[in-house]
Amino acid sequence: MDTLERPKPDETRAKTWADTQTAERAVVQYEVEQFLYTEAALLDARRYRDWLGLLAQDIEYWMPVRRTVTSADIDREFTKPGEVAYFDDDWAYLEMRVKKLEAGSAWSEDPPSRSRHFVSNVRVLAVEGDEITLEACFHVYRTRLERDVDQWVGRRVDVVRRGGAAGFLLVKRHLFLDQTVIQSTNMSTIF
Amino acid sequence: MADGAQVAQVWDKASIQALFDPATGWLDRRVLSDPSLYQLELERIFARGWNFMCHDSQLKASGDYLISYIGEDQIIVVRDEDGEVHALLNTCRHRGNALCRAEQGRAKSFVCSYHGWNYGLDGRLLGVPGLGTFYHGDLDKSRLGLAKARIESYLGFHFATLAPDAPPLHDFLGVTGRTGLAMVCAHGDVEVAEGVQKNVIDCNWKIAVDNLFDWYHVPYSHASADASGFFEVAKIQFPKNQMVMLGEYGHAIGGPVIPREMQDQIDRLTDEQREEMSRAQQENAPRIRPKSATELMGSEGVRSQGHPNIFPNLWVTISGTQMCLRLPRGPSHTELWWYTLVPKAAPPAAKRDIIRRMNHVFGPAGLLEQDDGENWSQSTRSARGVAGRELGQALVMGLGHDEMRVGASGEHYIEGLISEHGQRWLYRAWTDWMSARDWADLQANHAQPPTGVV
Repeated sequence: MDTLERPKPDETRAKTWADTQTAERAVVQYEVEQFLYTEAALLDARRYRDWLGLLAQDIEYWMPVRRTVTSADIDREFTKPGEVAYFDDDWAYLEMRVKKLEAGSAWSEDPPSRSRHFVSNVRVLAVEGDEITLEACFHVYRTRLERDVDQWVGRRVDVVRRGGAAGFLLVKRHLFLDQTVIQSTNMSTIF
Repeated sequence: MADGAQVAQVWDKASIQALFDPATGWLDRRVLSDPSLYQLELERIFARGWNFMCHDSQLKASGDYLISYIGEDQIIVVRDEDGEVHALLNTCRHRGNALCRAEQGRAKSFVCSYHGWNYGLDGRLLGVPGLGTFYHGDLDKSRLGLAKARIESYLGFHFATLAPDAPPLHDFLGVTGRTGLAMVCAHGDVEVAEGVQKNVIDCNWKIAVDNLFDWYHVPYSHASADASGFFEVAKIQFPKNQMVMLGEYGHAIGGPVIPREMQDQIDRLTDEQREEMSRAQQENAPRIRPKSATELMGSEGVRSQGHPNIFPNLWVTISGTQMCLRLPRGPSHTELWWYTLVPKAAPPAAKRDIIRRMNHVFGPAGLLEQDDGENWSQSTRSARGVAGRELGQALVMGLGHDEMRVGASGEHYIEGLISEHGQRWLYRAWTDWMSARDWADLQANHAQPPTGVV
C-alpha cells in the first residue's frame, strides 16, 4: 500500500486496524517502532549479517528512480516495478550485498563509512493477519574519509511480519528517495 | 616547481600537446584538475563535438521532450508535430530563464515562466505577451527563436553539436564509432527502459571515461563483487583475449574479443544454430550475434565483447545492454547517467529480466560500480596538489609490445593482452581536440590511428 492516504474504514483489508482500540494500537505502534530501531542500530553498528537475519526469505527491497516532472506528469515521478531502479532486490541479492561488505575488499566501504539511520513519522497503515504495513520517513547520514558527507532522506513503505528473534521479519521495503540526481559517489549503504 | 608558472599557464598549441606524450604514455595530471583546461574543454570538445542526446524510443509521441546536455548547456530534445526531432537550447531569448524545468515530459509549446514568451516545438517564437502594447509592435519575433543545436542520428541514437562547421555525424563516428553504436543493435531494434539512473561523482570526467577501457582494474577494484557471488571475474575478463579498436577523433573499443578461429566457426552457423548455442551457454554469457551483425559491425568489430566509447563521453557497455553518459560538472565533478537498453521485440517478462539484472551491475548502488567512484575521486584529488600534479600518470601498459592490424572495413585494431592502448588513444585525441582552433584545424591535424608496432 504505497499511499499517503490513511486506509478508508470501508476497505476490508484495513477494517480491523481502523476499528482497533487506541490502547491496542499503541502497543502495535510500540512493537513496530522497537523493531525498526533495532534494525537501524544493527546497520549503524555494521552488523550486516545480523541484519540479514531480520529479513523474510520472500523480502522485496526496492528503490525506484525518481524524476523531476511537472505536476501534470506527477504519476510518472517514480519508475514502476519492473522498470529501472536503484535497488530491486530479493533475499539473494541482499545477501550478495552483505557478502560484498564482508569480503574485506569492498574498497568503497573500507575504511568503513560512519552512518546513522534515523526512522521517524512511523504510521501503521494496516494490520492483516500477522503482517503490518507501515509508512515512515528515513534519514540516512553517512560520512566517509576526511570530508565526504552524504544524506539520503525519503519516505518508505515497509511490511513486517510477526516472527523471528526480533519479533518481526521485514517482508517489504519500498524506498522513495527525495533526490532525483543522487548527490553521492555511490550508494554502498543499506537503507 | 611551485614558481607560479603553472598558474599563469597560457594554453597554446604546443603547451597542450605537451600534456600527453603518446610515445611514452606520460600524462600530465593537470589534464584532470586544471580549471582553465576545463573551460577550454567545454568549448573545444563538448560544444564542438557530437554529443549524445537520447535514443529515439525516449521520444514516443509528438511533444515528448527531455533535457540533455552539451557540456554544461542544457538542451531540450523534442519531437515536433511532424515527428522531427529538434535540439533547442533551454534558455529564453528574453532574459535567459530555463523554459523546461522538468527533466522530461510532453508539451504543446514551451512557455517561459518569467514573462510568458511562448515557443513552438521547433523553437520558433510564437507569442510575446504585450507585443502590441508594451513593445509597440516593435520586436522581430523571427530573430528571437530558441537557439538550436544541429541534431543528427545513427541507428536511432540522436546526437547534437553546437558547431555549424562540424562534419556529418556519420563521418565523425567513423568505423569505430559506428561499430560501437551498432553493438547495441546487433540483435535488432532496441528501446531505452523507463528510468535513467543519475548520480554525481567527485572526479574529472575523463577518469570515468578512460576507466571503461581498463580491464586491468576489474579483478582488484571489483574483488568484492566477485566475492559477493554476483559475477566471476574469470568469466568476464579474458586477460589474454583482448582487442582494442582505435578510430579517428578519439573513438575506441576495448575489451574481450572472440578469437578469429572461434568467429570463423560461428560464421558457418545459421542464426538458429547461433541462438541454440547461446541458450546452451552459461548464464550471463553474451548472446552470440546473428549474421546481420557482421554487416553492421564489420568482420572484426563483430568479434568484440568490449566497451566502446563514443568520444568524448558515451560509454556503451559490454554487449550493449547499458550505456552511460559522463557529463562534465567542473574539473572535479562528473554526472553519470545510466541507460538500460532492451530488445524492442522481446516479451515483457524477458525485458523485465534484463532490466533487473542490469539494475544490479552499474549505477550508484550497482554491485560493480559502487567500487569505482572512490578510486576516481581520489585520483582526481591527487591531481590538485602541486607535487601530485607534477608526478604525471604512467599509461605505459603494452606500449611497444603490440601490432596494429587493419581490417577489411578499414578498422584499426590491436589484439593481445590487456593493455592501455585505449587510454593512450583517448588522451592523444584529447590533445588534438584541445589544440585545434576550429573544425578545419581539427580535421587537418588530428591523429590517424597508428600503424606497425604500437
